[in-house]
Amino acid sequence: MKTKLLIFLFISIASSVFASCQFSSQGQNDPWTQQQLLDPADLAKVLNDPKAPQPLVFSVGMQAIIKGSIDIGPAMKAENLNVLKGKLNKLPKNTQIVVYCGCCPFSRCPNIRPAMELLKNMQFTNYKLLNLPQNVKVDWIDKDYPMAQ
Amino acid sequence: MSVVLLLIVGTISAQSTGLEPGNKSPEIKLPNTKGDTVALSSLKGKLVLIDFWGTWCAPCVAEQAELARLYNKYKQSAFTNGKGFEIYGVSLDAKKSNWENFITTNKINWIQVSDLKFWRSPVAKTYNIQALPFNILMDGNGIILAKNLHGIDLEKGIIRFLRK
Repeated sequence: MKTKLLIFLFISIASSVFASCQFSSQGQNDPWTQQQLLDPADLAKVLNDPKAPQPLVFSVGMQAIIKGSIDIGPAMKAENLNVLKGKLNKLPKNTQIVVYCGCCPFSRCPNIRPAMELLKNMQFTNYKLLNLPQNVKVDWIDKDYPMAQ
Repeated sequence: MSVVLLLIVGTISAQSTGLEPGNKSPEIKLPNTKGDTVALSSLKGKLVLIDFWGTWCAPCVAEQAELARLYNKYKQSAFTNGKGFEIYGVSLDAKKSNWENFITTNKINWIQVSDLKFWRSPVAKTYNIQALPFNILMDGNGIILAKNLHGIDLEKGIIRFLRK
């Protein structure tokens, strides 16, 4: 009985660790804070409201599939990161900015970290990372949030 | 603790909803790199692995070498319900150049198709794909035998259906 309980506890803890590694929204060394994560439902609401102030939404992944977002390309590539830098250079530091990729779970997305680091280093003050912990299909498309045409 | 475990099991099993072994695999008709449409149903009579992947997906890329090994090892084999083994690679890439270059560089010699629509591809919805890599093993009649087999489990899955 004791052994069974120990096995159960071990599996439970191991599963917790696995699950948190897979879909965690923020790791220890990630260049964003929990407060900088933007709930997809909140962005969808803003995008669906023409009277609401619209943030600048940058896609730093494979495709700009969110309504009104600007396609930068994968930020893991230096040339794309430079494109983003060029656009940011023209903006006031307090511009409302949202970045997203959504290719893969946050833990292994190669694009969001370079983009968020750039925003941090350029001392922007009002930028968010769209919280797509699994991917843009599960966390955006499947929820029927607004899409680019 | 049991609540935590239930939540975790729920998260992991999200991938397994929808298509189940014993069901017919939905038809896919997508273009290859030359633009010619290749229907999944055209592979009738063979054991088929539908491999959903993308060049932007690191674990998918890492898996391609193993797929090449299995393809070359089993493509001429006889199975309980199929003669020959084929891989039908469905890429969720967005840019043709990325997809094409990867295929050329890695000398991928099995079927590759894509509508280049990334996660917006209708097949991602049809097959209820929650994450990549994702695959389906189906028999010569298009019946799903197994899904999401990776690593050593994939070859074990193929061997299971070898004709003795």
